[in-house]
Amino acid sequence: MATNFENMSTDLIWLCTRGNNSMLLKRKQAGGVTFSRDPLNLTNIHNRKYEGFIDTKAIGINPSARNPSALTLTTKNASAVNPSGAPSQPAKLHKTHHFPANTHNRQIYRQLIKETTKQGYRVDLRQEMIARASALRQAQRTKKPTPERKPRGRKALKLAAEGKRKA
Amino acid sequence: MTTRPTVTIISADGSASDATHPLPTVFKSPIRPDVVQTIHTGMARNRRQPYAVSEKAGHQTSAESWGTGRAVARIPRVSGGGTHRAGQAAFGNQCRSGRMFAPTKVWRKWHQKLNLNQKRFATASALAASSNAALLMARGHHISTVPEVPLVISSTAFSNGAIQKTSAAVSLLKSIGAGPDVEKVKKSRKLRAGKGKLRGRRHRQRRGPLVVYNPDEDGKELVLAFRNIPGVETCSVYALNLLQLAPGGHLGRFIVWTSSAFAALDKIYGSTTEPSELKKDFLLPSNIIRQPDIAKLINSSEIQNVLRPVKGGAVTKRPWTQKKNPLNNKQILLRLNPYAKAYSEQKLGQQKLNTEKPERVAGDALDLLHEN
Repeated sequence: MATNFENMSTDLIWLCTRGNNSMLLKRKQAGGVTFSRDPLNLTNIHNRKYEGFIDTKAIGINPSARNPSALTLTTKNASAVNPSGAPSQPAKLHKTHHFPANTHNRQIYRQLIKETTKQGYRVDLRQEMIARASALRQAQRTKKPTPERKPRGRKALKLAAEGKRKA
Repeated sequence: MTTRPTVTIISADGSASDATHPLPTVFKSPIRPDVVQTIHTGMARNRRQPYAVSEKAGHQTSAESWGTGRAVARIPRVSGGGTHRAGQAAFGNQCRSGRMFAPTKVWRKWHQKLNLNQKRFATASALAASSNAALLMARGHHISTVPEVPLVISSTAFSNGAIQKTSAAVSLLKSIGAGPDVEKVKKSRKLRAGKGKLRGRRHRQRRGPLVVYNPDEDGKELVLAFRNIPGVETCSVYALNLLQLAPGGHLGRFIVWTSSAFAALDKIYGSTTEPSELKKDFLLPSNIIRQPDIAKLINSSEIQNVLRPVKGGAVTKRPWTQKKNPLNNKQILLRLNPYAKAYSEQKLGQQKLNTEKPERVAGDALDLLHEN
């Protein structure tokens, strides 16, 4: 519905919610930082450009709900959003695209750009999107156990000597 | 003439029915968080019940000052003997079991008059805000399973006292996608910090959906059905209350409308030109601007036509960039010395100088020089 409402727009919603909303996180530490918990916020910075729940088009990249080592890309369904005040459909709001845990990183980046930027969808968020995907993949990697130290020099000689004595 | 948007009426099982209803005009009223906040504060104040300490507290003793000369302070002291209390200081606010400083009185100024038109404005504004999914999410409602906002449920689901039991009410809320919001309320129940625990406010919890019904058509049985579900409140469409529509003064309460209540809104609030039937002398507030979308305003042809064209074209000249070395950078050299091109093309720099030895001057000229 392309009905234009005189009382609502994304700009107005931003003005209403910028001071206080349920996803906003304010801390007095470090000179009073503000962050956002919005899943559709790529940088977690509370800011008009990045705050996804306000906008008609937004991108979210998060670990999948079922498999924390996989990624999910969330975008908004244009037909279900209507910031201008006409009825909107929250249940149909999100469109998701899953990347299984074994997808290669570069393949993910390529796919992300294909799904969004190449379709003219939030072109301005391209870099942030790749950065977030990359950071998440980095965090999802299982850490290799640090190998046991091989003794060198005197310690090695000492150990070898002990080994011989025992033998 | 723009078409009036319509709202789908959801049936009791949560599926969209064929029936729709045009969006009442209240939902077009201006969204004013400032008005809602001030009115909310005022209404919350007016709801307070007066309290005070007992008039007699701290004065139920016959204490008298001992006067000077006894090497103790001149504060009134409890008379008599035989108990520990005798001789102790009394009355003063600094005394143990004395009265408090400036004892509170029930005739404190608790209430303030609120402008009725402002109250109506705030209610209309809060209703309009409740139709925006983003504002609902910003308030913290879990609405990701809700089929449509504003959420209108067919009144047939409530007819003939169909929702009389809490179990029926819960299953209705679940089927229309309001389950997660109720679940959120249940999980949020916490023990209150401070003395409020002793004063009938033991727990604090979030607010869930507000069910708005039309008592004439939906009956009142549903009130009993919904009242024991945590966080869920019910309200008659004829008595909407800002404290419920914008709890804490924050816009965007999740409202579940029955279709008959939704249909009654136009009658109750009227429009910006037709006065309301039920509220005396009330016209809905109209918006000051027609287009609240700033990006659209800026990009509109009306604005763009009167703007001065962008200076400089696509490539802007940046005057104070890094200084380039003309000895290394040919283009910079040419800018300084246009002759450099011809100079290098003719290879003047590589040409050898005339290396022949100069001719000796004629013999007698040197002699002449030395003579002087």
